[in-house]
Amino acid sequence: MTMSGIAFPSPRRRKRKQSGWRGLLYIAPAMALVTMFFVLPVLFTVWMSLHKWPLLGTPAWIGLGNYVRMVSDARFMTALGFTAHYTIIVTIAIFAVAFPLAIFVEKQRPLISVYRTIIFLPVVVGLASASLLWVWLANVDSGLFTPLMQRLGLTNGRINLLATFDAAFLTIIAMVVWKIAGFTMIILVTGLQAIPTELTEAARIDGAGRWQRFRYLTLPLMRRTMALALILSVTGSILAFDQFYIMTSGGPQNRMISVVYYIFNQSFVSFNLGYGAALSIALLAILVAISVVQLWLLKVGEDRP
Amino acid sequence: MLKRLLAATTLAYGLGLSVASAETISMWVRTGIGDSFKEVVKAYNAKGEDKVELTEVPFSELVQKYATAIAGGQAPDALSLDLIYTPAFAAAGQLENLTDWAKSLPYFNSLSPSHVKLGTYEDKVYGLPLSVETSIFAWNKELYRKAGLDPEKAPKTWEEITANAEKIRALGDDTYGFYFSGGGCGGCMIFTFTPLVWGAGADILSADSKKATLDTPEMRKAVDIYRNLVAKDTVPAGSASDNGVNFLTFTNGRIGQQSIGAFAIGTLVTQHPEIDFGVTLIPGVDGKPSSFAGGDNFVVTKGTPKLETVKKFLEYIYSMDGQKMMAKYGSLPTRGDIAGEVLAGLDPRLKVGIEAIAVAKTPYTLQFNDLINSSNGPWATFINAAIFGDDVDGAFSNAQSEMQSIIDAGQ
Repeated sequence: MTMSGIAFPSPRRRKRKQSGWRGLLYIAPAMALVTMFFVLPVLFTVWMSLHKWPLLGTPAWIGLGNYVRMVSDARFMTALGFTAHYTIIVTIAIFAVAFPLAIFVEKQRPLISVYRTIIFLPVVVGLASASLLWVWLANVDSGLFTPLMQRLGLTNGRINLLATFDAAFLTIIAMVVWKIAGFTMIILVTGLQAIPTELTEAARIDGAGRWQRFRYLTLPLMRRTMALALILSVTGSILAFDQFYIMTSGGPQNRMISVVYYIFNQSFVSFNLGYGAALSIALLAILVAISVVQLWLLKVGEDRP
Repeated sequence: MLKRLLAATTLAYGLGLSVASAETISMWVRTGIGDSFKEVVKAYNAKGEDKVELTEVPFSELVQKYATAIAGGQAPDALSLDLIYTPAFAAAGQLENLTDWAKSLPYFNSLSPSHVKLGTYEDKVYGLPLSVETSIFAWNKELYRKAGLDPEKAPKTWEEITANAEKIRALGDDTYGFYFSGGGCGGCMIFTFTPLVWGAGADILSADSKKATLDTPEMRKAVDIYRNLVAKDTVPAGSASDNGVNFLTFTNGRIGQQSIGAFAIGTLVTQHPEIDFGVTLIPGVDGKPSSFAGGDNFVVTKGTPKLETVKKFLEYIYSMDGQKMMAKYGSLPTRGDIAGEVLAGLDPRLKVGIEAIAVAKTPYTLQFNDLINSSNGPWATFINAAIFGDDVDGAFSNAQSEMQSIIDAGQ
């Protein structure tokens, strides 16, 4: 760099510097909010995680003790395993339902807004309310499913859907798909609608079949939308809590304890707030890692149009 | 002149009194302990002096809600606390020391001893008995009659109960012989199921609460009895996932027999007069009866500015009126000196609840929530796995080792 460059900055450069400050000013409110409601709480959680922090009484510094304990905590590992199992199954189920629905409601056809509304309606119900509704639906005596199946002769006698792991798990998956698929569908529809019709037409003229058009045109152009839907779905599933807490209180014989449920139990049932904080930090790290891997796998952000 | 002065004094006194007595204290009570406390509060508020504002908190969440409220400075003035938790909260320094006042009460020595014992920590009194309840066995006389059984004959053994359950189940689709909340309700099951092993002399914890002693021949026998009841289809399918919400299923009139609490006698008598039922002690696995002595302690949050008002309310509860009102709705008298008078003219079935006190036990451990009451704790899990699962041995060994590890971690 020349002397003149330092001593006499060019007017253009000064301008850029100025606009940098202005940009910072514009994002300052957002930064303040993020700092106050995300960064500070996370830092405080990190601070707590380094203590033995009972709900009542005084905290004591134990350094990395909580993290060491976590590695050999069998129940935490079980919770991680169950959450992974749940996330994989529920994400596949949501996409398997949402993608066909998106393709169905994307095209203009009679009564399409009615269909869209009906499919989207469960999304606006809170997850806790939806869980309570399904607890009733799945109730063995006064619910809907069990007596209905019995009447139709599908089952011999009354089956308690929430009493065995497989049936309860299936019920919860069905509930979550019913509740979430509409939301994923809306995201996918926006992606589908962003594909220019000229491209599809050109492909059709070139003689591409329906499957080929889907595989080589629609899917690649939907990549970014898919990434968004996938990340939202995976993150949401990893953070699942309400449905297990409300519908099965942790499931038959504790087999449905998700990671967040375990953190809740540690913090507010056993009152180990410090250990709960350490588990939360671990979960945050896992979520960030998974999201980064997903973005990388789907190559989002590499190619700009 | 004198008259005027007197009038003025009276007026001033009246004003002063109304200012002082316009206080409202906030109190929490857990759900599922019947209506006795609610009714006492109603009667107290109707007197038009101080007011008690009652908040009902789900029984399974009371401890964490109260602990969180203390940490957040939002705790109620006083609380109806499951007596089992009094030592833990007193040890944490969150309760008001009531020793001097309590010992000045003329009837202090006749208050329910197990409650006072659990309410005392390091020789200071932090909790006083509010409600006393024992677990008992109830049967529906109407269904006994229909099934051709003698409605006045109380079953004495589990063989008898099982045989009766089968006969009642034979009555039809929606009529069942037995019920229990087996879906992760640790509190319900320690209350109704452990008397089976206690009666036979076994226990799930060692006397000093340092060892888990779950796997005993007595417990195996008790589990077998319940498994058999389930296998013979005498228990509704909903039992396997009932986390305590439907604990009082007996009140629907289609359950032949169930172990319930003495509080439920009050609920049944006052709210379900149509149900004709009898009560007896819960037989142990070898026929010797036992019971769980539970109930609530009255505790005061440390530093409440309304201590005097709270004391006045508690004195009302201990008065003859208060005790009678509590007993009418199923809480057994907490004052031994007037128990006979309080129960006079009330439902004779409450006497069974009193008899149960003599054979009853109360577990003492600071880790009650982690071990027993938590719906994801080892005891709740064990109940569901051992009674409804396929692997009884696995259920025993898992629960035994998990209980021990929780006890060890807490030392």
